[in-house]
Amino acid sequence: MAILRAGLCPGLTAEMIQVLKANSITTVVDLVSSDLEEVARKCSLSYKALVAVRRVLLAQFSAFPVNGADLYEELKSSMAILPTGSESLDKLLDSGLYTGEVTELTGAPATGKTQVCLSIAMSAAHGLRQSVLYVDSTGGFTASRLLQLAQTRMGGEEEQAEALQRIQVARVFDVYAMLDVVQELRCSMSQQVLSSSAPVKVLVVDSISAVICPLLGGWQAEGLALMMQLARELKMLARELSMAVVVTNHVTRESSSGHLKPALGRSWSFVPSTRVLLESRAGPGGNASTHRVATLTKSSRQPTGIEVELDIGSCGVLEESPAASAEGP
Amino acid sequence: MQRDVGSFPLAPGLRAKLIGAGFQTAEELLEIGPCELSKEIGISKEEALETLQIVRRECHSNATRTTGEPETVKKCTALELLEQEQARGFIITFCSALDDILGGGVQLTKITEICGAPGVGKTQLCMQLAVDVQIPECFGGLAGEAVFIDTEGSFIVDRVADIATACVQHCQLIAETHQEEDFQKSLETFSLESILSHIYYFRCHDYTELLAQVYLLPDFLSEHSKVQLVIVDGIAFPFRHDLEDLSLRTRLLNGLAQQLISIANAHKLAVVLTNQMTTRIGQSQSMLVPALGESWGHAATIRLIFHWDNKQRLATLYKSPSQKESTVPFHITPNGFRDVHPPPSSQTPAEIEINPRKRPRLEGENQ
Repeated sequence: MAILRAGLCPGLTAEMIQVLKANSITTVVDLVSSDLEEVARKCSLSYKALVAVRRVLLAQFSAFPVNGADLYEELKSSMAILPTGSESLDKLLDSGLYTGEVTELTGAPATGKTQVCLSIAMSAAHGLRQSVLYVDSTGGFTASRLLQLAQTRMGGEEEQAEALQRIQVARVFDVYAMLDVVQELRCSMSQQVLSSSAPVKVLVVDSISAVICPLLGGWQAEGLALMMQLARELKMLARELSMAVVVTNHVTRESSSGHLKPALGRSWSFVPSTRVLLESRAGPGGNASTHRVATLTKSSRQPTGIEVELDIGSCGVLEESPAASAEGP
Repeated sequence: MQRDVGSFPLAPGLRAKLIGAGFQTAEELLEIGPCELSKEIGISKEEALETLQIVRRECHSNATRTTGEPETVKKCTALELLEQEQARGFIITFCSALDDILGGGVQLTKITEICGAPGVGKTQLCMQLAVDVQIPECFGGLAGEAVFIDTEGSFIVDRVADIATACVQHCQLIAETHQEEDFQKSLETFSLESILSHIYYFRCHDYTELLAQVYLLPDFLSEHSKVQLVIVDGIAFPFRHDLEDLSLRTRLLNGLAQQLISIANAHKLAVVLTNQMTTRIGQSQSMLVPALGESWGHAATIRLIFHWDNKQRLATLYKSPSQKESTVPFHITPNGFRDVHPPPSSQTPAEIEINPRKRPRLEGENQ
């Protein structure tokens, strides 16, 4: 619903706009949806000029359909699958994180969401040598833990230091600051003429519900609008700049049944393409405190409900040792 | 840069009017003046001017950011953060086992939550930390000050005086064995009076006062820049007995948590909260869980749960971004928070465990 301004397209002069405004045509939608013959008659403007303006406006503001085969070719060349650093988690996600999509990790407190995020960041920075932006809104980012994860991988101290330098951390604690960071990222990546660092390939937001939960609920629709704004920015980043976006979410308890469900409600549930739920269940023989189970709750590629077992130890998020995984999912 | 109008911190009614009039991006707003804006969407001239100022300020900060100047949101690499973390100290608890499982002590820039049943020692630990944060740097402390926000009225000055005296004696013992200049000098400023005068005490009677106090805290902290610890003793109490609207409670608590972590990060201090326990009745059994609900569990960065095992008090590290789960025992002595097996040199052999709220009269005990 853009407003008509002088210079929006060639042929749209300020006088034309004044005359149109006097006849209550103020936005682009108003102009392209009105009957041009009548407008030409009422405003005493040239019909040909109006048609030319409409054609240019339509070309500028409308979306064009793409052939499926062309889309496939484009995706084949631009999409990448990034391993998360844990083989069983990769199996759950159909071989890894897909760029161009938003993946969500949800779980109760102390189930390992931050640990998985750190592991993903380290795997992308060290293993794949890609730039990572980690947006921290809970204060859970600990650089010494990241160093611990780096030290268990192969490579000397220099490589570890390089990997740590590829991870940028932004600490934001309210939704406007988060919108700032996301928009600034889009701005800096689209204007990338000479940049000293590689383009950011993975964006980790830990956690998104910490900044949105204070705004939701009650009688205000404000919080919902901001949440959808943020969702749109994240999806645009993922799609246009072919990044993999990972988001963590909280859980709340359903009042009727007592089950845990992801926070932020039904509107948010349509935003990520893949959702993984982390739970801590007491392992059969293994260490109960580090045993976690990851369940796929939403995916466009794999059947939902498949589970894998993870072990969060000092070396990061590993798959369960063979002795204890005899039970299977 | 095409910034969407919805992403600016404007009032909702104003935003609705702007979008209704067709403004979508910041560029369109920057082109018109306040008089035209007020005529277009029907608001007063002052409101139009304010709106344009907000938009211009945000857009300019964006522009300077792309030329490399750091503005409101600072980004730094993980390597820089690692160096900062390694240079930062911890607040010790005087219980070496607890310090070990916490990774050195209570961490700065993070929220630590202590949950436990009544009488298990949460307030004792808070009082101990308020004294420990003031230990001079040459003894391994932070030489900072403390803010104590009390909602339950459980802060007893006599007890803090006892803990402070014991801490000063401990440092004097260390100074005597080492015989160095700076130790003696810092001991002159580290006395009972100075410790008590650097604990800033606030008493809040309900949740409104607590929210207001936290809201005004940044101003207080900018005047007292040496504060390194903020304690809120009893964050559950004002929110549990007065508030019936549960969704409002969740919203307020989440907002409070975000404000506290933002203060912790901006002023590089540690925030310690204490929470109560409640019973959750499951399918077949009931268990004790921390109060304030499921969503509050995400608010704290580090969570410690204190509980009893027969007569022994135990501390479990339940949630931490860098340490793994473990349980250690601890004692509460007349000198404060201590280990179960104290190092032989500094403590007397017979440690009596005393509940400070009910002090029995023992023979020969000085009042």
